[in-house]
Amino acid sequence: MIENRPWLTFASHATLLVGIGLVALPVWMALVASTHPASAFGAGHIPLWFGDAGGQTWGNVLFEKAGNGVDTPVFWMMLNSLIMALGITFGKIAISLLSAYAIVFFRFPFRNLCFWIIFMTLMLPVEVRIVPTYEVIANLGLLNSYTGLTLPLIASATATFLFRQCFLSMPGELVEAARIDGAGPWRFFFDILLPLSRTNIAALFVILFIYGWNQYLWPLLITTDDAYYTLVMSIKRMLSVTDGDIAWNQIMATTLLAMLPPVAVVIGMQKLFVKGLVDSEK
Amino acid sequence: MTDVILEKVGKTYLNGFQAIPSVDLSIEEGEFIVLVGPSGCGKSTLLRMVAGLESISSGTLRIRGEHMNNKEPAERDIAMVFQNYALYPHMTVYNNMAYGLKNRGVPKDQIEEKVTDVAQMLGLTELLQRKPGQLSGGQRQRVAMGRAMVRDPTVFLFDEPLSNLDAKLRVQMRVEIRQLQRKLGTTTLYVTHDQVEAMTLADRLVVLNKGKAEQIGTPMELYNTPATPFVAAFIGSPSMNLIDATLTDKGIELPDGLVLPTDTADAHRGAVVWGIRPEHLDVVNESEADFALRIQAVESLGAETLIHGVVGTESVVVRLSGPHLPEINSLMWLHAPKQHWHLFDANTQQRLSV
Repeated sequence: MIENRPWLTFASHATLLVGIGLVALPVWMALVASTHPASAFGAGHIPLWFGDAGGQTWGNVLFEKAGNGVDTPVFWMMLNSLIMALGITFGKIAISLLSAYAIVFFRFPFRNLCFWIIFMTLMLPVEVRIVPTYEVIANLGLLNSYTGLTLPLIASATATFLFRQCFLSMPGELVEAARIDGAGPWRFFFDILLPLSRTNIAALFVILFIYGWNQYLWPLLITTDDAYYTLVMSIKRMLSVTDGDIAWNQIMATTLLAMLPPVAVVIGMQKLFVKGLVDSEK
Repeated sequence: MTDVILEKVGKTYLNGFQAIPSVDLSIEEGEFIVLVGPSGCGKSTLLRMVAGLESISSGTLRIRGEHMNNKEPAERDIAMVFQNYALYPHMTVYNNMAYGLKNRGVPKDQIEEKVTDVAQMLGLTELLQRKPGQLSGGQRQRVAMGRAMVRDPTVFLFDEPLSNLDAKLRVQMRVEIRQLQRKLGTTTLYVTHDQVEAMTLADRLVVLNKGKAEQIGTPMELYNTPATPFVAAFIGSPSMNLIDATLTDKGIELPDGLVLPTDTADAHRGAVVWGIRPEHLDVVNESEADFALRIQAVESLGAETLIHGVVGTESVVVRLSGPHLPEINSLMWLHAPKQHWHLFDANTQQRLSV
């Protein structure tokens, strides 16, 4: 900012601090609650500073069982979530890269029709086609499997569209130079197209990983075996205890653990993410 | 040996638009051919057809005697320098130059040798590990040329390679391109819209107009004996004064009743276009003058002065060496020496003997 007014600096900092407080307070409370015994939260007062049961709760939740009727340890569910999220992310990126490549760089009959058909699938997210999709997966015998968890979520019109835009902005002379240099379609794809869309891929990776990680409805439907439960859907199951008190400390620990991987991805790829969305190297 | 032969090569687009009706051209080994013309005349299309980036609708293209119409660009033994250089932005200068060789399966040590040689020739040795984004316009231009040179092709194709450089660099690169081409002796096809570039670089020029080759010849042939009014106006700067006139037994009758007596051997009578270059008009006394110019504007360029004015109602430019400061609206008496006249049939656009 060019202006230098002390009160303005003060006001903007104060606003930011209040904002941080508002956003971070629930996270803080979750962290604190996970370190108190289960009874503390149920007794009606909300502790604001760490208790002494932290180590035990976290250890139990992570490695023995999540509690509240969920007998699988969190690290196992985390692994399931990770496999699903990464499967969806890589599957989506690979498929949409290839379909965008075909649509932009090859001349074949009904090319535009293909694009519009892909584009129209935007109107058919999993929630809309959930019953038929479930039937297909069930008929294929893919219930309770990683394939069943990831496959129906892989097809992606959004990513195809994004890569199409990215490829369209590629200068035509670059394609021609590669042709004269003797690069066939695969060489061109791997040597030139892929490196040049690096930042777009990274940006998409962040968005799709979070999308995959946060999947709730689909895993809830097709998994009935504890071994395939994902973390996000299990939190809800932990809340529905039929008798007895809810062990809030365990739930809080699980929730925080569920938050960590997306946060790590966002922080780790922040620079590439912004670069991919705002600028292009071309 | 003839390196490249174009026989009745034509291009018609799918929508029926005929960009190039038919062009015949044969290029000798080591020759520097420049395709020149105004924008939209089809010069780039013709070049891209030789490169294989556009399909050839009719006629045949031969390179070293081999029929090339349906060959992929990579199989034609050509290398191209693009207007925007088209360097791969994510690769270093070294890899940019080596990429074409790698794809052809040339062994690594040979690639290194070739790239190092060419880099040295172009003064790029220090820059080999940089990326194109870190280079200046002139350096990028050199890398683009280097990429073409390492391949050691039969034909170099240049598509307006200097149009993105500033004026000073353009002159420098122009000289460099000419020297390099002489040294390498590689047949070259070069597209430009800039007639100065065309005149200075070419062994032979092809002037294109609406997809037709108006005239093919050395720069001096085109300057001294342009075949059509189009070529006459296009070659030379400022361009030739062309006046619609009538050829009668008395001589050339200009529209304002002025008559330039001539005893032309040509039997043609009727509408003609009479032309004379601005540098060939002489300032003389009233008694020796063919006509008077009413001065409208003076452009002093130091070494020369361009005087714009009207003869009757026709605008005429005179080019005089050294500084002159005639008054606006005054009269200037001019003599047009007969050996510098150009005469064209107004209907057929063909050159007539004076």
